[in-house]
Amino acid sequence: MEIKEVFRKKNVKETLEILEHYQEQCKIIAGGTDIIIQLREGIEKSSVLVDISNIEELKVVKETEKWIEIGSGVTFTEIAREFTLHDKFSALVEAAASVGSPQIRNAATIGGNICNASPAADFIPPLLALNAVVVLERKNAIREMCLEEFIIDKEKVALKADELLTKIRFKKLQTNQGLGFSKLGFRKALAISKISTAVFLELEENNKCKGTRIATGALGRHGLRERRVEEFLQEKALDPSTVHQGGRKLQKEIEKRLYGRPSLAFKKEAVIGIFHKAVDKAFKSCKIEGGI
Amino acid sequence: MKKRGIGFASVFYGTGYGNGFPDISNAIAELGMDGKITIYVGATEVGQGAKTILSQIAAEVFSMSVEEIIFVCEDTSITPDAGTAAASRQTYNTGNAIKIAAENLREEMIDVAIERLGLNSRVGLAVKNGRIFLKTFPEKGISFEEIALLVGDQHLRRTGSFTAQTTQMDEDTGEGAPYWPYTFSVYGIEVEVDTSIGTIEVIRSVCAQDTGRTINPKLVEGQIDGGFAMGLGYAIYEDLNLQKGKIKHNRFTNYLIPTAEDMPEVEKIFIENPESTGPYGAKGIGEPVTLAVAPAILNAIYDAVGIRIKEIPVTPDKLLIALKEKEMEV
Repeated sequence: MEIKEVFRKKNVKETLEILEHYQEQCKIIAGGTDIIIQLREGIEKSSVLVDISNIEELKVVKETEKWIEIGSGVTFTEIAREFTLHDKFSALVEAAASVGSPQIRNAATIGGNICNASPAADFIPPLLALNAVVVLERKNAIREMCLEEFIIDKEKVALKADELLTKIRFKKLQTNQGLGFSKLGFRKALAISKISTAVFLELEENNKCKGTRIATGALGRHGLRERRVEEFLQEKALDPSTVHQGGRKLQKEIEKRLYGRPSLAFKKEAVIGIFHKAVDKAFKSCKIEGGI
Repeated sequence: MKKRGIGFASVFYGTGYGNGFPDISNAIAELGMDGKITIYVGATEVGQGAKTILSQIAAEVFSMSVEEIIFVCEDTSITPDAGTAAASRQTYNTGNAIKIAAENLREEMIDVAIERLGLNSRVGLAVKNGRIFLKTFPEKGISFEEIALLVGDQHLRRTGSFTAQTTQMDEDTGEGAPYWPYTFSVYGIEVEVDTSIGTIEVIRSVCAQDTGRTINPKLVEGQIDGGFAMGLGYAIYEDLNLQKGKIKHNRFTNYLIPTAEDMPEVEKIFIENPESTGPYGAKGIGEPVTLAVAPAILNAIYDAVGIRIKEIPVTPDKLLIALKEKEMEV
C-alpha cells in the first residue's frame, strides 16, 4: 500500500488526536530505521504515518529520587552519552553502543527498539533485567505496564492503535546492585545479535545473591526473562561453581526452547560464554560504591 | 578464555592471462598543440589507481610532471584495446605498452628537435620539463610546444604495443611455467580467539609485498589495506550460506563484510627488486595482496587453539563447535 499522508506534530497531545482519528490505518514512525525498510519491502501496510521525531518532550532523560525515566524518542547515541558518566550503568552504554552503526544510533530510538520487538532487539534484555515499566498514552488516558507484559510475541507489543509509548522507566541502582550486558554478534559493528544477555544482581554480604533478574535476546521469539536461572541463583553465594551451574541451567533452557533449530548446536555453547561475561560485568557493577 | 596465535602465509602469483593465451596491451601517445602529452588507452579504472600509475609511467618517459599528462581511457571509440582490468595486469602489461608508445613519440620528437636545432646526433640530448635540449649547452633546445607548432596539423602520434610472454602448460602432465612475471607476498597475522564464544579478532598484521618497483607508494598501501579487508572477509566473515543452490545470505545484513572496526592496522613492507621486463621494474600487486590473508589467519587460529580449520569462512559457530569437539576428545 502507498503512504497517503504523513503527520508531524510537535507535541504529544496533538499526536494522540491524530492516532485517535486514524486508528489502525496509521503507524508511528520515529527514527525509521526499521519501518522504512518494512515499507520499502511492502511488509508494512499502513497508509498514514505519524512522525514523532520532532517531539521534544519525548527526547528527555529524567532522574527522580528513585527512578530513571527515558523518553521513547531518545536515540541510542543519546543513551550512550547520557549514561557514560554513571559507571554503575556501563551496561546500558554498552548495549546502546552495540546497536547497528553510528548512523543508525543517531536515528534509532529506544521506543522503536521496544515496539518493533525484534527477537534480537539489543536494548530489550537490559530493560527486562531492570524490570522496566512502559508508559502508554492515548487521548485523555494514560496507563503503565511492565515491559515484560508489554512484549507479547515476536514483533508484537500490547500497544493499542491509538496509543503512544511515551516513556520507559526503571529504578535506579543501589550501592549493592549492578547490571551487566553481553552481546555476541559476528562482527564488531552492524551486527545483528546472535545472543545477548543482561543480568541484574543484588548482592548481600559474602556475595550472596539477594536478588537477580536475567534476560536474554535472540534466544526465543522475543526478549525473555530466564526465571529458572534466576531461581537457581537466588540466595546462593556467587562463586565460580555457582555461576558455572547457572550457565548450565541456562543452557538446558535454550536446549528446550531451540529444539530442532540448526543454530542450537552453536547457541547452547555460546550462551554459556555470554552468560559468564554478563554476570562478571554485573558483579563488577555491584562493587562500584554509591548508588545512582 | 582468550588465546592468541600467530600465523604466516606466503604466495607467488602469476601476472596476466598466462598459459599461452595472447595477452596484449595497446596504447597511443600524442603531442598536443599546447605541448602536453595525451595518452589514449583502453585500460579501465576500477578504483585500483590505474589512471594515476599509468599517467606516472608516461610522465616518467618525458621527465615531466604528471599534471602535464592528459590521460584518456575507457572510451573504446577513441582508445586502443588494452585488455581487461583483471589478472593484476594493468601496471605491468599496459604500463609497458604506454611506456613503449611514449618512448616512440619521444624519439619522433627528438628527430624533429635535431633537425630544427641543426644537430648531427642524438648523443647528449636531454628531455625534461617540456623541453628537448643539449645537456652541455641547455640554451640549445626546443620546447614541446614549439615542436608541436613545427609539425602543425599532422600531429605527432605514436602507438605502442606490448605482448606478454606466456607459455602453455603441458596438457597431460600439467607442468610448465605458464606466467611471467610472478609476484611474491607474505603475511604475518596475530589473532585472538575467545574460546567461550568462538569469535576471532585480528590483533595485528604485517604484509611484505614484492612490488618489483613501487610506482606509487600510497596506492600500494591502499591496495594492501583493501586486499587485507577482502582477505579478512573471505577468512572469517563472508558466508553465502548456500542451501539447495539458493543463496540465503543475499543482503549485507547477513552477508557480512568487515567494517572499519574489524580492520586492524596493517604494517606494510615493500620489497623492491625491479623486474627486468616491467615498466621501470614494476609488477602488478592487486590480487597478490589478498591471497595470503586467509591462510595466514587459519594458521594463526591453529597456533592459538590447535585446530586446523579446513572450511572458510571460520565464523564463530564453526569454530566454537570445533573447540567443543576437541574438548570432548581430550
